[in-house]
Amino acid sequence: MVPISYNLRSLTHRKATTFATAFGITLVVFVFAASAMLTDGIKTTLGKSGSEDIAIVIRDGSDAELSSSLDQPNVGIILSSADVKRRADGQPDGVGEIVAVLALDKIGTEGVSNVQVRGVASASYAFRPTIHIVQGRQARDGAEEAVVGRAIAGRFRGLALGQSFEIKKNRHITVVGIMEDRGSSFESEVWTDIETVRSAFGREALVSSVRARLRSASAYPAFERALKSNRQLGVEVMRETDYYARQSEGTGTLISVMGNMIAFFFSLGAMIGAMITMYAAVSNRSREIGTLRALGFSKMSILFAFLLEALMLSLLGGIVGVLASLAMNGTGFSMMNLASWSEITFTFHWTPQIAMSSLIFAAVMGLFGGLFPAIRAARVNVLQALRS
Amino acid sequence: MTDAIVKLTDVGKTFWRGTEAIKVLDGLTLDVADGAFHALMGPSGSGKSTLLNLIAGLDKSTAGTVQVAGQNLSQMNDGSLADFRARNIGFIFQSYNLMPVLTAAENVELPLLLTKLSSAERKKRAITALRVVGLEDRTGHFPRQLSGGQEQRVAIARAIVNDPKILVADEPTGDLDRKSADDILNLLVRLNTEFKKTIVMVTHDPEAAERATTTLHLNKGALIEQRTKGAA
Amino acid sequence: MNLVSLAARNVLRNKFRTTLTVLGVAVALLAFILLRTVLSAWNAAADYAAKDRIATRHKVTFIMTVPKRYVDTIRQVPGVSAVSYFNWFGAKYERMPNEFFGSMACDPRTMFDVYDDVRISEAEKQAFIADRQGAIVGDVLARKMNWHAGDTVTLKGTIFPGNWTFHIVGVYTAASRAVDRSTFFFQWDYLNESLPPGRRDQVGWIMSRVDNATQAAAVSQRIDRIFDIQDVQTLSMSERALNVSFLAGFSAILQALNVISVVILLILLLVLGNTIAMGVRERTNEYGVLRALGFMPKHVRLFIYGEAITLGAIAGTLGAGIGFAFVNFAFGPWLEENMGAMFPYFRVPAEVLIAAFVFAVLLGILAAIIPATRAARLTVTDALRRID
Ligand SMILES: Nc1ncnc2c1ncn2[C@@H]1O[C@H](COP(=O)(O)OP(=O)(O)OP(=O)(O)O)[C@@H](O)[C@H]1O
Ligand SMILES: [Mg+2]
Repeated sequence: MVPISYNLRSLTHRKATTFATAFGITLVVFVFAASAMLTDGIKTTLGKSGSEDIAIVIRDGSDAELSSSLDQPNVGIILSSADVKRRADGQPDGVGEIVAVLALDKIGTEGVSNVQVRGVASASYAFRPTIHIVQGRQARDGAEEAVVGRAIAGRFRGLALGQSFEIKKNRHITVVGIMEDRGSSFESEVWTDIETVRSAFGREALVSSVRARLRSASAYPAFERALKSNRQLGVEVMRETDYYARQSEGTGTLISVMGNMIAFFFSLGAMIGAMITMYAAVSNRSREIGTLRALGFSKMSILFAFLLEALMLSLLGGIVGVLASLAMNGTGFSMMNLASWSEITFTFHWTPQIAMSSLIFAAVMGLFGGLFPAIRAARVNVLQALRS
Repeated sequence: MTDAIVKLTDVGKTFWRGTEAIKVLDGLTLDVADGAFHALMGPSGSGKSTLLNLIAGLDKSTAGTVQVAGQNLSQMNDGSLADFRARNIGFIFQSYNLMPVLTAAENVELPLLLTKLSSAERKKRAITALRVVGLEDRTGHFPRQLSGGQEQRVAIARAIVNDPKILVADEPTGDLDRKSADDILNLLVRLNTEFKKTIVMVTHDPEAAERATTTLHLNKGALIEQRTKGAA
Repeated sequence: MNLVSLAARNVLRNKFRTTLTVLGVAVALLAFILLRTVLSAWNAAADYAAKDRIATRHKVTFIMTVPKRYVDTIRQVPGVSAVSYFNWFGAKYERMPNEFFGSMACDPRTMFDVYDDVRISEAEKQAFIADRQGAIVGDVLARKMNWHAGDTVTLKGTIFPGNWTFHIVGVYTAASRAVDRSTFFFQWDYLNESLPPGRRDQVGWIMSRVDNATQAAAVSQRIDRIFDIQDVQTLSMSERALNVSFLAGFSAILQALNVISVVILLILLLVLGNTIAMGVRERTNEYGVLRALGFMPKHVRLFIYGEAITLGAIAGTLGAGIGFAFVNFAFGPWLEENMGAMFPYFRVPAEVLIAAFVFAVLLGILAAIIPATRAARLTVTDALRRID
């Protein structure tokens, strides 16, 4: 076998070419990894909002909480199911909430943007133990107060701690707290009293959704069957995890389709770049190859040597690309969520799997780019090469 | 004796490899008369090509003066040296150095691109030069379609197309077989006698040197022997 | 023959490498063209949006409605020439539940006065007015769902529950790029009568046309001022401003695409630079010969730039050609068909094609700067001695 140091030296010999090729691969891998990180971020942001043992109930036929409405009395009926877990006080562990959208001035832009508002009761905070108030305090029931998610706090006019915004003409809601929930979509919401939202939006005695914590995740099928068979209710039941997976579908697909398309074209370009470099390496070194062959190295070992060189080249670029993508980890990316037409902040989410698949992607580019040049190298005619 | 067209006085050439000085030529003095045909011989590494490059204005001496065709090359900048070469020097290389993408006629025409001649006039002159070297039937051929000897004749046509006073040739027959080499030498002799070109030719081949009027021997950076035909 | 043509011939010398380079650059340009077309198609909604149409909606949120009597009030506002009104419906076609399309209730008598860029035959228009359950659909949607005039379709409402039966009486096309050809319009009266009395006579938004587009902002203010003292306040803005604020929700994506399209140019530069540098390195000896013949460094530079420009121009032509064909004949029609709501018009703008070509040539020149400067700086003897 041709020693690896031979390849390493030839890569360092033509520094500019090696740099240009590897850097091209770096850019491609970076874009690939970044789009995977964002797709993953969308899934985690919305995924974290849901849990397996919680069922969400909305009106039959509506796609999301926003377009759904249920009568308040139905909340009691839904939560009375034996499959719903009981709280310490014996009450069913579930909440009925109302969701609306508010247009607020977005700071730093000229226009308004939509923000999702959730009408809640204090039970809603207790219902989601992962939510923490990181600044200020929880809003009191019945008060004109709101708690704002960390991701949008300060990004809209009136949404910073101590400020207030108008939910309806001359009805000011004061922000008394900032909440955090592991980067879930709740961090992009405004929570205020359910009655305030109802009256401001003319939705008296209605809720958008009912969430119920079940006795266990496996109690779900029975719960679903019971509710669906009650034609009077006319509801749609989903596991909360499924609900959020569906919410992330549109946006997630948009990002991943775009990302993959871009990565595809990029990788073609980078592969061709690697091919050009490797072909040049082969033709510049045909004498060397002839000499190696004359010394007794086999065709296979020449092929292998050049493939290895291409692989090293692309992995070099790939590693730098992955490291660069690591720097994006945790960066916020806020956009309109196609499911709610409201702003939501996703974060780039780095995982070892993404790093791994990016490196594999780089390696594949290198191998494909290097394959034909390596075959040409292996086919070099010994005598001709030595004479040239 | 006619005036010297090439006049080297106390010429030295030192190359620097890092801090290490390589003195290739030292205190070399040489006159080449107008219309002469000099062969320059000597062991490998003795500085023949270096000397030739100085005469051709491809390189500058580090000491002494180099006067060619009445001009002091030592004092010229790169731009005027290029201009000097274009007007006065025809260069013939050992490995022909034709442009592979150009036809024979186009290769010959190449130096004329530096002149203000019309395209038609350039073509005419290129054909004329090719006729001188006996390749008027190969004008449209590319270098790879020609034999080595033919390639060198195209290179000679390129060297004479702008009618320079001096031809410098660095081992022009080095890559050729005897027969082709003799053809080239005949051609050079004809250019010297018929067209009155002054020729300085580096060669390792004693038979080639025989054809020149004067043979110079270079050793360790100095001219150690001059032998002129008939005068020996 | 001249120096430029000699340079051009050199490009074709290493045919294989040139082919690879041209392919690489063409692929990169294709990606560039795609991205820029996405950006321009996205912006088209704003660019082509009518400046003389004003939308008036509930001030606080788009999920709330305004009283229908506002329509008559707006009709009296000076500067307004025509007024119509709409309600967002939201529906699914049970047979194809995964096909998303916009559906709205409209007033067929006034709608076409405001939307003069919606093309429909007079007969179909009259049929639409005459039939209470009548509906018209965009041609793109009609093709996708295989709907024809005369069909009866049943849709399931997502906001207004139940099954709704419509008669398709016509198919509309668009006279402007801002019109979505995938929308389902039906009679507002039909919707209104089906609602419980308490929810009747509400409209989602009011569209009015102004005599003079430059007055749009002033008229918007005039309208909002009228309703400011009423129960329900309004927010009016020109269709253009509305679309701009909608786009702002995707500004992060647009920005990312922008950045990526610049990254593509960078990759392009690397591929071109690599090839040019390799060619120059291999031909150093020839530059030495040229210099020996009396050519100046500037000629050598010109020569290398000539090569680079030729390479860039060939690649640019091919890339722009492929991009044009791919987008306008394959990808664009497909996208309009399947994502018409987001991309009603997806064709390469001429300026993008020109930019792609110009960038290819400019980047070729840019890529040649270093090799050209280096080659010109070499001394004649050094250039002649260089064989590797
Ligand atoms: N650019 C340079 N840098 C350093 N050393 C040089 C350079 N050019 C020539 N030399 C050295 O100068 C000496 C003379 O070289 P030159 O090419 O003139 O020899 P030559 O007589 O033509 O040899 P040959 O017969 O092999 O062609 C050699 O030792 C060579 O290594
Ligand atoms: Mg020599």
